[in-house]
Amino acid sequence: MQSGTQEIRKGKALVMRALALLLVCAAALPAPGAPDPAALPTDAEVKAQASALEVAGAFSNDGFKNRDGHVFGKIAPKEPKFIQVNLYSGNQYWFIAATSGPAKRIAVTVFDEKGKFVPTELYENNTQAAAGFSPQASGPYIVRIEELSGEPATFCLLYSYK
Amino acid sequence: MSKNEIWNSGTQEGKRNNPFSFPEFLSSRFSSLVSTDDNPSRLALTFLPMFSRIVSLLLVAGTAFASAAPAPLTAKELAAVAKVESVSIPTPAEAMAALGKVAKPNWQSRYRQPIPTTFSNRAQIALNIGGLIADGYIAVEAEDAQQVKNTGKDIIALAKTLGVSESVIARGNSIFEFAERNEWNTLKEELEATQNEVKLSLEQQHDADLVCLVSLGAWIRATEILSGWIADNYTPVAAKLLRQPEIVALMRAKLDGLPAKAKEDPLVADLIAGLPALEALVSFSSDKVPTQNDVKAVKEVSGKLMKRISTKPNAK
Repeated sequence: MQSGTQEIRKGKALVMRALALLLVCAAALPAPGAPDPAALPTDAEVKAQASALEVAGAFSNDGFKNRDGHVFGKIAPKEPKFIQVNLYSGNQYWFIAATSGPAKRIAVTVFDEKGKFVPTELYENNTQAAAGFSPQASGPYIVRIEELSGEPATFCLLYSYK
Repeated sequence: MSKNEIWNSGTQEGKRNNPFSFPEFLSSRFSSLVSTDDNPSRLALTFLPMFSRIVSLLLVAGTAFASAAPAPLTAKELAAVAKVESVSIPTPAEAMAALGKVAKPNWQSRYRQPIPTTFSNRAQIALNIGGLIADGYIAVEAEDAQQVKNTGKDIIALAKTLGVSESVIARGNSIFEFAERNEWNTLKEELEATQNEVKLSLEQQHDADLVCLVSLGAWIRATEILSGWIADNYTPVAAKLLRQPEIVALMRAKLDGLPAKAKEDPLVADLIAGLPALEALVSFSSDKVPTQNDVKAVKEVSGKLMKRISTKPNAK
Protein backbone atom coordinates (compact mmCIF):
# COMPACT_ATOMS: atom_id res chain seq x y z
CA MET A 1 0.00 0.00 0.00
CA GLN A 2 2.73 2.37 1.04
CA SER A 3 4.77 1.48 -2.01
CA GLY A 4 1.65 2.12 -4.18
CA THR A 5 1.29 5.69 -2.74
CA GLN A 6 4.98 6.27 -3.35
CA GLU A 7 4.54 5.17 -6.98
CA ILE A 8 1.65 7.66 -7.44
CA ARG A 9 3.71 10.45 -5.83
CA LYS A 10 6.65 9.61 -8.10
CA GLY A 11 4.33 9.64 -11.13
CA LYS A 12 2.86 13.00 -10.13
CA ALA A 13 6.32 14.46 -9.68
CA LEU A 14 7.35 13.19 -13.12
CA VAL A 15 4.28 14.71 -14.75
CA MET A 16 4.92 18.04 -13.01
CA ARG A 17 8.54 17.98 -14.13
CA ALA A 18 7.56 17.18 -17.71
CA LEU A 19 5.00 20.01 -17.70
CA ALA A 20 7.56 22.46 -16.33
CA LEU A 21 10.03 21.37 -19.02
CA LEU A 22 7.41 21.85 -21.73
CA LEU A 23 6.65 25.34 -20.44
CA VAL A 24 10.35 26.25 -20.47
CA CYS A 25 10.74 24.89 -24.01
CA ALA A 26 7.66 26.74 -25.22
CA ALA A 27 8.98 29.99 -23.75
CA ALA A 28 12.33 29.46 -25.46
CA LEU A 29 10.76 28.92 -28.89
CA PRO A 30 10.05 32.01 -30.99
CA ALA A 31 6.39 32.88 -31.46
CA PRO A 32 5.02 31.89 -34.88
CA GLY A 33 6.03 34.51 -37.41
CA ALA A 34 8.48 36.18 -35.04
CA PRO A 35 11.93 36.87 -36.50
CA ASP A 36 14.63 34.35 -35.74
CA PRO A 37 17.18 36.28 -33.59
CA ALA A 38 20.02 34.43 -35.34
CA ALA A 39 18.89 35.87 -38.68
CA LEU A 40 19.05 39.47 -37.44
CA PRO A 41 22.24 41.51 -37.94
CA THR A 42 24.31 42.50 -34.92
CA ASP A 43 24.94 46.12 -33.92
CA ALA A 44 28.48 45.91 -35.34
CA GLU A 45 27.12 44.62 -38.66
CA VAL A 46 24.51 47.37 -38.83
CA LYS A 47 27.21 50.01 -38.21
CA ALA A 48 29.53 48.52 -40.85
CA GLN A 49 26.67 48.40 -43.35
CA ALA A 50 25.71 52.02 -42.66
CA SER A 51 29.31 53.07 -43.24
CA ALA A 52 29.49 51.12 -46.53
CA LEU A 53 26.17 52.59 -47.64
CA GLU A 54 27.54 56.07 -46.97
CA VAL A 55 30.22 55.46 -49.61
CA ALA A 56 27.76 53.72 -51.96
CA GLY A 57 25.47 56.75 -51.68
CA ALA A 58 28.13 58.90 -53.29
CA PHE A 59 28.31 56.57 -56.28
CA SER A 60 24.55 56.45 -56.64
CA ASN A 61 24.68 60.20 -57.33
CA ASP A 62 26.65 59.21 -60.41
CA GLY A 63 24.04 56.76 -61.69
CA PHE A 64 25.27 53.63 -59.91
CA LYS A 65 22.56 51.36 -58.54
CA ASN A 66 23.20 49.77 -55.17
CA ARG A 67 22.73 46.05 -54.77
CA ASP A 68 20.47 45.31 -51.82
CA GLY A 69 22.51 42.17 -51.17
CA HIS A 70 25.52 42.43 -48.90
CA VAL A 71 27.80 40.22 -46.88
CA PHE A 72 29.04 40.53 -43.30
CA GLY A 73 32.14 38.92 -41.86
CA LYS A 74 35.00 39.16 -39.42
CA ILE A 75 38.32 40.57 -40.52
CA ALA A 76 41.74 40.82 -38.87
CA PRO A 77 45.22 41.94 -39.99
CA LYS A 78 46.89 39.28 -42.18
CA GLU A 79 43.61 37.40 -42.38
CA PRO A 80 41.95 38.75 -45.53
CA LYS A 81 38.59 37.54 -46.73
CA PHE A 82 37.89 36.53 -50.34
CA ILE A 83 34.42 36.68 -51.89
CA GLN A 84 33.37 35.59 -55.36
CA VAL A 85 31.23 37.87 -57.51
CA ASN A 86 29.89 37.14 -60.98
CA LEU A 87 29.95 40.15 -63.28
CA TYR A 88 28.89 41.20 -66.77
CA SER A 89 31.33 42.79 -69.20
CA GLY A 90 30.57 46.37 -70.11
CA ASN A 91 28.95 47.20 -66.78
CA GLN A 92 30.83 49.41 -64.31
CA TYR A 93 31.14 48.18 -60.74
CA TRP A 94 32.21 49.57 -57.37
CA PHE A 95 32.92 47.10 -54.55
CA ILE A 96 32.61 48.85 -51.23
CA ALA A 97 33.71 47.58 -47.82
CA ALA A 98 33.53 49.22 -44.42
CA THR A 99 34.25 48.06 -40.91
CA SER A 100 32.95 48.85 -37.47
CA GLY A 101 34.98 48.43 -34.33
CA PRO A 102 38.70 48.65 -33.78
CA ALA A 103 39.91 48.35 -37.41
CA LYS A 104 42.05 51.31 -38.47
CA ARG A 105 42.58 50.87 -42.20
CA ILE A 106 41.16 48.47 -44.78
CA ALA A 107 41.60 47.88 -48.51
CA VAL A 108 39.60 46.26 -51.32
CA THR A 109 41.35 44.52 -54.22
CA VAL A 110 39.90 42.67 -57.22
CA PHE A 111 41.30 39.54 -58.89
CA ASP A 112 40.12 37.54 -61.89
CA GLU A 113 38.88 33.97 -61.63
CA LYS A 114 42.45 32.62 -61.83
CA GLY A 115 43.62 34.89 -59.03
CA LYS A 116 45.39 37.46 -61.21
CA PHE A 117 45.27 41.06 -59.98
CA VAL A 118 42.80 43.29 -61.85
CA PRO A 119 43.68 47.02 -61.95
CA THR A 120 40.91 49.12 -60.43
CA GLU A 121 40.23 52.62 -59.25
CA LEU A 122 40.73 52.86 -55.53
CA TYR A 123 39.09 54.72 -52.74
CA GLU A 124 40.57 54.28 -49.28
CA ASN A 125 39.50 56.27 -46.26
CA ASN A 126 40.62 54.39 -43.15
CA THR A 127 37.72 52.07 -42.33
CA GLN A 128 36.01 52.55 -45.69
CA ALA A 129 37.47 51.29 -48.96
CA ALA A 130 36.25 50.70 -52.50
CA ALA A 131 37.52 49.37 -55.81
CA GLY A 132 35.89 50.27 -59.12
CA PHE A 133 36.32 48.80 -62.59
CA SER A 134 34.60 47.66 -65.75
CA PRO A 135 35.25 43.97 -66.50
CA GLN A 136 36.50 43.03 -69.95
CA ALA A 137 34.96 39.56 -69.76
CA SER A 138 31.76 38.30 -68.14
CA GLY A 139 32.24 35.72 -65.41
CA PRO A 140 33.59 35.23 -61.91
CA TYR A 141 35.91 37.67 -60.13
CA ILE A 142 37.28 37.64 -56.59
CA VAL A 143 37.06 40.56 -54.18
CA ARG A 144 39.64 40.64 -51.38
CA ILE A 145 38.90 42.61 -48.23
CA GLU A 146 41.93 43.07 -46.02
CA GLU A 147 42.63 44.90 -42.83
CA LEU A 148 45.90 46.79 -43.17
CA SER A 149 46.09 47.91 -39.52
CA GLY A 150 44.05 47.73 -36.35
CA GLU A 151 42.33 45.07 -34.31
CA PRO A 152 39.88 42.37 -35.51
CA ALA A 153 36.60 43.91 -36.62
CA THR A 154 33.30 43.27 -38.40
CA PHE A 155 33.06 44.21 -42.08
CA CYS A 156 30.27 44.69 -44.58
CA LEU A 157 30.80 44.30 -48.34
CA LEU A 158 28.31 45.49 -50.91
CA TYR A 159 28.47 46.68 -54.47
CA SER A 160 27.05 49.15 -56.95
CA TYR A 161 26.80 48.87 -60.73
CA LYS A 162 25.71 50.78 -63.78
CA MET B 1 29.01 62.73 -48.90
CA SER B 2 29.34 63.62 -52.59
CA LYS B 3 31.42 61.76 -55.13
CA ASN B 4 33.81 64.72 -55.29
CA GLU B 5 34.40 64.53 -51.56
CA ILE B 6 35.22 60.87 -51.97
CA TRP B 7 37.85 61.53 -54.59
CA ASN B 8 39.26 64.40 -52.54
CA SER B 9 39.68 62.22 -49.51
CA GLY B 10 40.93 59.23 -51.50
CA THR B 11 44.41 58.30 -52.62
CA GLN B 12 46.26 60.24 -55.29
CA GLU B 13 46.28 57.11 -57.42
CA GLY B 14 42.54 56.89 -57.15
CA LYS B 15 42.10 60.47 -58.28
CA ARG B 16 44.52 60.08 -61.18
CA ASN B 17 42.96 56.93 -62.53
CA ASN B 18 39.27 57.51 -62.05
CA PRO B 19 37.92 56.05 -65.33
CA PHE B 20 34.49 57.47 -64.86
CA SER B 21 35.64 61.12 -64.66
CA PHE B 22 38.91 61.13 -66.62
CA PRO B 23 37.43 60.89 -70.14
CA GLU B 24 35.18 63.90 -69.48
CA PHE B 25 38.14 65.84 -68.14
CA LEU B 26 40.26 64.85 -71.13
CA SER B 27 37.67 65.72 -73.75
CA SER B 28 36.91 69.15 -72.26
CA ARG B 29 40.64 69.93 -72.06
CA PHE B 30 41.26 69.02 -75.70
CA SER B 31 38.18 70.73 -77.04
CA SER B 32 39.16 73.98 -75.30
CA LEU B 33 42.69 73.78 -76.72
CA VAL B 34 41.54 73.22 -80.27
CA SER B 35 38.77 75.75 -80.19
CA THR B 36 40.88 78.58 -78.79
CA ASP B 37 43.98 78.09 -80.94
CA ASP B 38 43.88 76.94 -84.58
CA ASN B 39 47.49 77.98 -85.50
CA PRO B 40 49.37 74.68 -86.26
CA SER B 41 52.78 75.83 -85.02
CA ARG B 42 51.32 77.16 -81.78
CA LEU B 43 49.39 73.94 -81.41
CA ALA B 44 52.60 71.93 -81.85
CA LEU B 45 54.38 74.11 -79.29
CA THR B 46 51.52 73.59 -76.89
CA PHE B 47 51.39 69.84 -77.38
CA LEU B 48 55.16 69.03 -77.43
CA PRO B 49 55.89 69.80 -73.76
CA MET B 50 52.60 68.19 -72.80
CA PHE B 51 53.46 65.07 -74.80
CA SER B 52 56.89 64.72 -73.19
CA ARG B 53 55.33 65.24 -69.76
CA ILE B 54 52.73 62.56 -70.50
CA VAL B 55 55.43 60.11 -71.63
CA SER B 56 57.52 60.69 -68.51
CA LEU B 57 54.41 60.45 -66.32
CA LEU B 58 53.47 57.16 -67.98
CA LEU B 59 56.98 55.79 -67.36
CA VAL B 60 56.87 56.80 -63.69
CA ALA B 61 53.33 55.47 -63.31
CA GLY B 62 54.31 52.25 -65.07
CA THR B 63 57.24 51.69 -62.72
CA ALA B 64 55.09 52.46 -59.69
CA PHE B 65 52.34 50.21 -60.97
CA ALA B 66 54.72 47.32 -61.65
CA SER B 67 56.10 47.48 -58.14
CA ALA B 68 52.72 48.06 -56.47
CA ALA B 69 50.61 45.43 -58.26
CA PRO B 70 49.49 42.83 -55.70
CA ALA B 71 50.76 39.29 -56.15
CA PRO B 72 48.39 36.74 -57.69
CA LEU B 73 46.34 34.76 -55.24
CA THR B 74 47.86 31.51 -54.03
CA ALA B 75 46.14 28.14 -54.37
CA LYS B 76 45.35 28.31 -50.65
CA GLU B 77 43.75 31.74 -51.05
CA LEU B 78 41.76 30.60 -54.11
CA ALA B 79 40.46 27.68 -52.08
CA ALA B 80 39.33 30.12 -49.38
CA VAL B 81 37.12 32.14 -51.73
CA ALA B 82 33.60 32.31 -50.31
CA LYS B 83 30.52 32.12 -52.51
CA VAL B 84 27.75 34.06 -50.85
CA GLU B 85 24.38 34.03 -52.54
CA SER B 86 23.56 37.64 -51.63
CA VAL B 87 26.49 39.06 -53.60
CA SER B 88 27.80 36.16 -55.71
CA ILE B 89 24.59 35.84 -57.73
CA PRO B 90 23.99 38.91 -59.93
CA THR B 91 20.50 40.35 -60.25
CA PRO B 92 18.66 40.08 -63.58
CA ALA B 93 19.01 43.90 -63.75
CA GLU B 94 22.79 43.58 -64.07
CA ALA B 95 22.44 41.23 -67.04
CA MET B 96 19.93 43.55 -68.67
CA ALA B 97 22.13 46.61 -68.04
CA ALA B 98 25.01 44.83 -69.76
CA LEU B 99 22.87 43.90 -72.77
CA GLY B 100 21.60 47.48 -72.92
CA LYS B 101 25.20 48.64 -73.40
CA VAL B 102 25.77 46.59 -76.55
CA ALA B 103 22.26 46.65 -78.05
CA LYS B 104 18.93 48.38 -77.93
CA PRO B 105 16.65 45.49 -76.95
CA ASN B 106 12.91 45.67 -77.37
CA TRP B 107 12.19 44.47 -73.86
CA GLN B 108 8.45 44.16 -74.42
CA SER B 109 9.16 41.39 -76.92
CA ARG B 110 10.48 39.34 -73.98
CA TYR B 111 7.23 39.39 -71.97
CA ARG B 112 5.65 35.98 -71.38
CA GLN B 113 2.08 34.89 -70.80
CA PRO B 114 0.94 35.33 -67.16
CA ILE B 115 1.81 32.29 -65.07
CA PRO B 116 -0.46 30.57 -62.52
CA THR B 117 -0.32 31.99 -59.00
CA THR B 118 -2.03 29.09 -57.24
CA PHE B 119 0.73 26.54 -56.80
CA SER B 120 0.63 24.29 -53.74
CA ASN B 121 4.23 23.10 -53.90
CA ARG B 122 6.40 25.46 -51.83
CA ALA B 123 9.53 24.81 -53.90
CA GLN B 124 7.60 25.69 -57.05
CA ILE B 125 6.26 28.88 -55.45
CA ALA B 126 9.78 29.98 -54.44
CA LEU B 127 11.14 29.32 -57.94
CA ASN B 128 8.28 31.22 -59.56
CA ILE B 129 8.69 34.23 -57.26
CA GLY B 130 12.26 34.42 -58.56
CA GLY B 131 11.04 34.15 -62.16
CA LEU B 132 8.51 36.91 -61.59
CA ILE B 133 11.17 39.16 -60.08
CA ALA B 134 13.08 38.80 -63.38
CA ASP B 135 9.84 39.61 -65.25
CA GLY B 136 9.56 42.73 -63.10
CA TYR B 137 13.01 43.85 -64.25
CA ILE B 138 12.00 43.47 -67.93
CA ALA B 139 8.91 45.59 -67.33
CA VAL B 140 11.12 48.22 -65.64
CA GLU B 141 13.57 48.16 -68.57
CA ALA B 142 10.60 48.55 -70.91
CA GLU B 143 9.39 51.43 -68.67
CA ASP B 144 5.95 49.82 -68.70
CA ALA B 145 4.20 50.87 -65.47
CA GLN B 146 1.14 48.67 -66.00
CA GLN B 147 3.27 45.58 -66.61
CA VAL B 148 5.32 46.36 -63.47
CA LYS B 149 2.09 46.56 -61.48
CA ASN B 150 0.76 43.30 -62.98
CA THR B 151 3.99 41.51 -62.13
CA GLY B 152 4.06 43.04 -58.63
CA LYS B 153 0.53 41.79 -58.06
CA ASP B 154 1.54 38.25 -59.06
CA ILE B 155 4.62 38.38 -56.82
CA ILE B 156 2.48 39.36 -53.83
CA ALA B 157 -0.12 36.69 -54.64
CA LEU B 158 2.57 34.00 -54.68
CA ALA B 159 4.38 35.40 -51.64
CA LYS B 160 1.13 35.26 -49.66
CA THR B 161 0.77 31.55 -50.42
CA LEU B 162 4.19 31.07 -48.81
CA GLY B 163 2.94 32.88 -45.71
CA VAL B 164 5.67 35.52 -45.89
CA SER B 165 5.66 38.55 -43.65
CA GLU B 166 3.89 41.89 -43.90
CA SER B 167 7.16 43.52 -44.94
CA VAL B 168 7.00 41.71 -48.29
CA ILE B 169 3.46 42.94 -48.83
CA ALA B 170 4.65 46.47 -48.00
CA ARG B 171 7.42 46.12 -50.59
CA GLY B 172 4.82 45.08 -53.13
CA ASN B 173 2.84 48.23 -52.39
CA SER B 174 6.00 50.30 -52.88
CA ILE B 175 6.45 48.69 -56.31
CA PHE B 176 2.97 49.92 -57.24
CA GLU B 177 3.74 53.44 -56.02
CA PHE B 178 7.10 53.70 -57.77
CA ALA B 179 5.57 52.34 -60.99
CA GLU B 180 2.84 54.95 -60.71
CA ARG B 181 5.51 57.67 -60.49
CA ASN B 182 7.72 56.12 -63.25
CA GLU B 183 10.70 55.87 -60.86
CA TRP B 184 12.49 53.21 -62.88
CA ASN B 185 15.88 53.25 -61.12
CA THR B 186 14.24 53.06 -57.70
CA LEU B 187 12.11 50.18 -58.96
CA LYS B 188 15.20 48.13 -59.82
CA GLU B 189 16.42 48.46 -56.24
CA GLU B 190 12.92 47.81 -54.92
CA LEU B 191 12.59 44.58 -56.90
CA GLU B 192 15.83 43.24 -55.46
CA ALA B 193 14.77 44.40 -52.01
CA THR B 194 11.47 42.51 -52.45
CA GLN B 195 13.37 39.38 -53.44
CA ASN B 196 15.57 39.73 -50.36
CA GLU B 197 12.55 40.34 -48.11
CA VAL B 198 11.03 37.09 -49.39
CA LYS B 199 14.29 35.27 -48.65
CA LEU B 200 14.59 36.83 -45.19
CA SER B 201 11.00 35.94 -44.45
CA LEU B 202 11.63 32.34 -45.51
CA GLU B 203 14.73 32.17 -43.29
CA GLN B 204 12.79 33.53 -40.35
CA GLN B 205 10.14 30.86 -40.90
CA HIS B 206 12.91 28.22 -40.76
CA ASP B 207 12.31 27.59 -44.46
CA ALA B 208 15.89 28.39 -45.50
CA ASP B 209 15.93 25.51 -48.00
CA LEU B 210 13.65 27.50 -50.27
CA VAL B 211 15.84 30.62 -50.29
CA CYS B 212 18.23 29.40 -52.99
CA LEU B 213 15.26 28.47 -55.17
CA VAL B 214 14.16 32.12 -55.36
CA SER B 215 17.59 33.12 -56.73
CA LEU B 216 17.63 30.11 -59.05
CA GLY B 217 14.24 30.98 -60.54
CA ALA B 218 15.35 34.57 -61.12
CA TRP B 219 18.61 33.54 -62.75
CA ILE B 220 17.06 30.94 -65.08
CA ARG B 221 14.39 33.41 -66.22
CA ALA B 222 17.02 36.15 -66.74
CA THR B 223 19.11 33.71 -68.79
CA GLU B 224 16.06 32.79 -70.86
CA ILE B 225 15.34 36.48 -71.52
CA LEU B 226 18.94 37.34 -72.39
CA SER B 227 19.63 34.32 -74.58
CA GLY B 228 16.24 34.70 -76.28
CA TRP B 229 16.98 38.25 -77.33
CA ILE B 230 20.58 37.50 -78.36
CA ALA B 231 19.53 34.42 -80.35
CA ASP B 232 17.08 36.55 -82.33
CA ASN B 233 19.45 39.52 -82.70
CA TYR B 234 22.85 37.82 -82.67
CA THR B 235 26.10 39.75 -82.24
CA PRO B 236 29.32 38.19 -80.93
CA VAL B 237 29.78 40.84 -78.24
CA ALA B 238 26.28 40.23 -76.86
CA ALA B 239 26.76 36.45 -77.03
CA LYS B 240 29.81 36.72 -74.75
CA LEU B 241 27.58 38.14 -72.00
CA LEU B 242 26.15 34.66 -71.48
CA ARG B 243 29.40 33.40 -69.97
CA GLN B 244 28.64 32.67 -66.30
CA PRO B 245 30.24 29.32 -65.37
CA GLU B 246 30.27 29.78 -61.62
CA ILE B 247 26.65 30.77 -61.11
CA VAL B 248 25.20 27.42 -62.14
CA ALA B 249 27.94 25.65 -60.18
CA LEU B 250 26.94 27.63 -57.08
CA MET B 251 23.24 26.89 -57.66
CA ARG B 252 23.94 23.20 -58.15
CA ALA B 253 25.94 23.11 -54.94
CA LYS B 254 23.00 24.74 -53.13
CA LEU B 255 20.58 22.17 -54.57
CA ASP B 256 22.93 19.32 -53.67
CA GLY B 257 22.95 20.64 -50.11
CA LEU B 258 19.18 20.46 -49.77
CA PRO B 259 17.78 17.84 -47.36
CA ALA B 260 17.05 14.49 -48.99
CA LYS B 261 13.29 15.05 -48.69
CA ALA B 262 13.51 18.36 -50.57
CA LYS B 263 15.60 16.74 -53.30
CA GLU B 264 12.91 14.10 -53.79
CA ASP B 265 10.46 16.79 -54.89
CA PRO B 266 9.88 16.01 -58.59
CA LEU B 267 10.45 19.63 -59.66
CA VAL B 268 13.68 19.96 -57.67
CA ALA B 269 14.82 16.58 -58.99
CA ASP B 270 14.16 17.77 -62.57
CA LEU B 271 16.19 20.91 -61.94
CA ILE B 272 19.07 18.92 -60.46
CA ALA B 273 18.98 16.76 -63.60
CA GLY B 274 18.60 19.69 -66.02
CA LEU B 275 21.10 22.23 -64.68
CA PRO B 276 24.31 20.46 -65.81
CA ALA B 277 23.27 20.97 -69.47
CA LEU B 278 22.81 24.71 -68.86
CA GLU B 279 26.07 24.87 -66.92
CA ALA B 280 27.96 23.32 -69.85
CA LEU B 281 26.48 25.87 -72.26
CA VAL B 282 27.46 28.96 -70.22
CA SER B 283 30.88 27.67 -69.16
CA PHE B 284 32.90 28.59 -72.24
CA SER B 285 36.35 30.19 -71.88
CA SER B 286 36.61 33.97 -71.66
CA ASP B 287 38.21 34.27 -75.13
CA LYS B 288 35.63 32.10 -76.91
CA VAL B 289 32.74 33.67 -78.79
CA PRO B 290 29.57 31.52 -78.70
CA THR B 291 27.95 30.99 -82.10
CA GLN B 292 24.32 31.82 -82.77
CA ASN B 293 23.53 28.11 -82.46
CA ASP B 294 25.26 28.02 -79.07
CA VAL B 295 23.05 30.92 -77.94
CA LYS B 296 19.95 29.18 -79.30
CA ALA B 297 20.88 26.13 -77.24
CA VAL B 298 21.06 28.28 -74.07
CA LYS B 299 17.65 29.74 -74.94
CA GLU B 300 16.17 26.29 -75.48
CA VAL B 301 17.54 24.73 -72.29
CA SER B 302 16.69 27.70 -70.05
CA GLY B 303 13.26 27.98 -71.70
CA LYS B 304 12.51 24.30 -70.99
CA LEU B 305 13.55 24.68 -67.36
CA MET B 306 11.41 27.80 -67.00
CA LYS B 307 8.42 26.06 -68.55
CA ARG B 308 8.84 23.16 -66.13
CA ILE B 309 9.01 25.62 -63.23
CA SER B 310 5.89 27.56 -64.22
CA THR B 311 3.67 24.60 -65.18
CA LYS B 312 1.24 23.27 -62.57
CA PRO B 313 1.74 19.52 -61.99
CA ASN B 314 -1.76 18.58 -63.16
CA ALA B 315 -1.70 20.89 -66.20
CA LYS B 316 -1.71 19.23 -69.59
